[in-house]
Amino acid sequence: MSDALERKGFTVGKPFSYIIFIGWALMTILPLFWMAYSSFKSNEELTRNIYAFPRDLFDNRNDEYMVIAPSLNLIMPDEVKANTADYLLLESTTIAPNRQLLVQFVPKADLDPELASRTRGDRVVVNELPRKYQRRISRSTMSFNYRSAFIRGELPKKILNSIIYTAVSTFSMVFLSLMIGFAVSKLPFPRLSALVIGLIGLGYLISTNSVIIPLFLMLTRVGLTDTRIGMILVYTAFGIPMSTLLASQFIKGLPDSLVESAEIDGASTFRAFLSIIVPMTVPVIITISIINALGIWNEFLLVLVLASSEATKSLPVGVYSFSSLTSTQLGWQLAALVLATAPAMIVYFSFNRRITQGVVAGAVKE
Amino acid sequence: MAPTVDRAGASSGIGFADEEIDVNLRDRRKLGTYVGFVLPGLAIYLMIVAYPIIYSVGLSFTDFNPNRGGAWNFVGLLQYRTMLDDPMFWHAFKNNMIVVAVSAFGQIPVGFALAYILYRRLVRARSFFQSMVFLPQFLSPIVVGILFRKLVGVDGPVSRLLQITSGDPTRQFTMMLKAQTVMIPIAVALLWMYTGFYMIIFLANLQKIDVNIVEAAKIDGASEPQIFGRVIVPILSGTILVSTILAIAGSLRGFDLIFAIATQGLQRNNAMVLPIFMYQTAFQDYSNTMRFAFGSAISNAIVLISVILIMFSNAVAKRFNAGEVG
Repeated sequence: MSDALERKGFTVGKPFSYIIFIGWALMTILPLFWMAYSSFKSNEELTRNIYAFPRDLFDNRNDEYMVIAPSLNLIMPDEVKANTADYLLLESTTIAPNRQLLVQFVPKADLDPELASRTRGDRVVVNELPRKYQRRISRSTMSFNYRSAFIRGELPKKILNSIIYTAVSTFSMVFLSLMIGFAVSKLPFPRLSALVIGLIGLGYLISTNSVIIPLFLMLTRVGLTDTRIGMILVYTAFGIPMSTLLASQFIKGLPDSLVESAEIDGASTFRAFLSIIVPMTVPVIITISIINALGIWNEFLLVLVLASSEATKSLPVGVYSFSSLTSTQLGWQLAALVLATAPAMIVYFSFNRRITQGVVAGAVKE
Repeated sequence: MAPTVDRAGASSGIGFADEEIDVNLRDRRKLGTYVGFVLPGLAIYLMIVAYPIIYSVGLSFTDFNPNRGGAWNFVGLLQYRTMLDDPMFWHAFKNNMIVVAVSAFGQIPVGFALAYILYRRLVRARSFFQSMVFLPQFLSPIVVGILFRKLVGVDGPVSRLLQITSGDPTRQFTMMLKAQTVMIPIAVALLWMYTGFYMIIFLANLQKIDVNIVEAAKIDGASEPQIFGRVIVPILSGTILVSTILAIAGSLRGFDLIFAIATQGLQRNNAMVLPIFMYQTAFQDYSNTMRFAFGSAISNAIVLISVILIMFSNAVAKRFNAGEVG
């Protein structure tokens, strides 16, 4: 079979094909690689040389710090905030100096008296400190960009929201559309089913973008804007057309006798659906879940319009607003971008085959 | 099962009312089950997908005022007339047509070519190349957009590369700054992001083609271009049409990528497309009391334009096929 497709006569074609594909692969890999290593660079380094590999944040044992006084724009851990006087507040003099961005907190009790008595404006070099704090400062310098993105962009909350939106909406859409798909292809009401499928099919070419204004007005009226349940409802509803068509096509292909024999055994229709049909539809469940979960995880406009507080924002909206708020801190933004792409890439490379098949199935049926 | 169908089919009239009257107790119980299965999903769908479409059409014929608690009057085509008189609408329309052209005449043919190279095994490491081209499609358009904005920014890596290659330390990448050229880098981003999708679609359909057909054509002495033009392309004409429809619908409603690449203000105005125009009108222009009605008019225009373009490509496809046969 492969011989028929393999072509020996392509003398010009082959090198040309390699050039195109290698070029394309580089266009994908290089920007992502630049993003990944640059996310470990300080802003000063990025300005100095945008291509060099990171150094400042790693080579940090001789970094010089300055003792500072507590101020309002300083973000402190709770235990430090409670007794500020017991801590030595050290700000880096090389990374984002005078901006209270890279600040270390060392308890005075753990330092020898001379160090602990240093006051505002005095210099401290990292390797003067006890080993334990050297290690801690070293680690926190290396993860400076990532810590800032996590804390200031409140990214963990947004990652959690994204997971909730994706998981709950995908689950409910799969369940609802399997139920409809089962009813229209296995229960004896063909005219009613044609009507249902016709109605649902109309929603095919409509996306949330097309009706975002009425959606916003409707959800405002019932108080569901800026709530998780509001987003989940919308995502679920917009997933139903495609999932229902895929599900009903698949279930139609299963033998009718399965349900009939279960009913003869005295099982209710719902019981038969749950214990016989659902386990047999696993392939189509996976297809539906892949396409929809991918779409919901990356969706932007709906959350941008509906979410007004940080508590309901999803990861793309969180990363977007973080990047507009901190436009001078390139390193932080790149760290946020890495945090947003890494999960998607891990999922992509681990389920590559399945994802490709799922996308094809979803598009071809459309 | 069969008797129920017959009775339901034989009963006069339309709709489910007679079905309900005619059926015996067992069937009525079945109808109850049926409704139980269909209703939850259908209700959510009708409320959240179907109703807003009607709402949106209705809204665009009013002067709905959100600043006055939603008071409204019927104003006929006023919003549509305002829209057609707005130069920004035409600017956004033009840019949107560029986006449609990039996907219909860029992403689809390039995707097809890449798929064909993979299908004919002209390169090794096919699964690696395939997953590299397809990868961007899987990433969030917002994240890709922000990364792209950083890359082509005034002092970003692309500018630096220009400086190194040209030896001129003052060189800058200025395409993003001018209205005439801003769509060029955006077109590159669109190509990079979405070509993989069409490649995957074409590859899957190429692999469905019976190898014997290609074999037979070869035995008949068909040259490589002939196999491509006379055998492969006609078989895939349906897939090409479906991809074109997907591309048109997708590019007309595409919002995220351009929104993230072009920064708010002048640059976004230069790179304006209809969905962004709709968003800015409805959700950022608070002083406009008719913002939602006007925004709905733009949304409906987007849907209308995609329907027209899709009908047009259907007609072209039909003509093309008819010419082939005759």
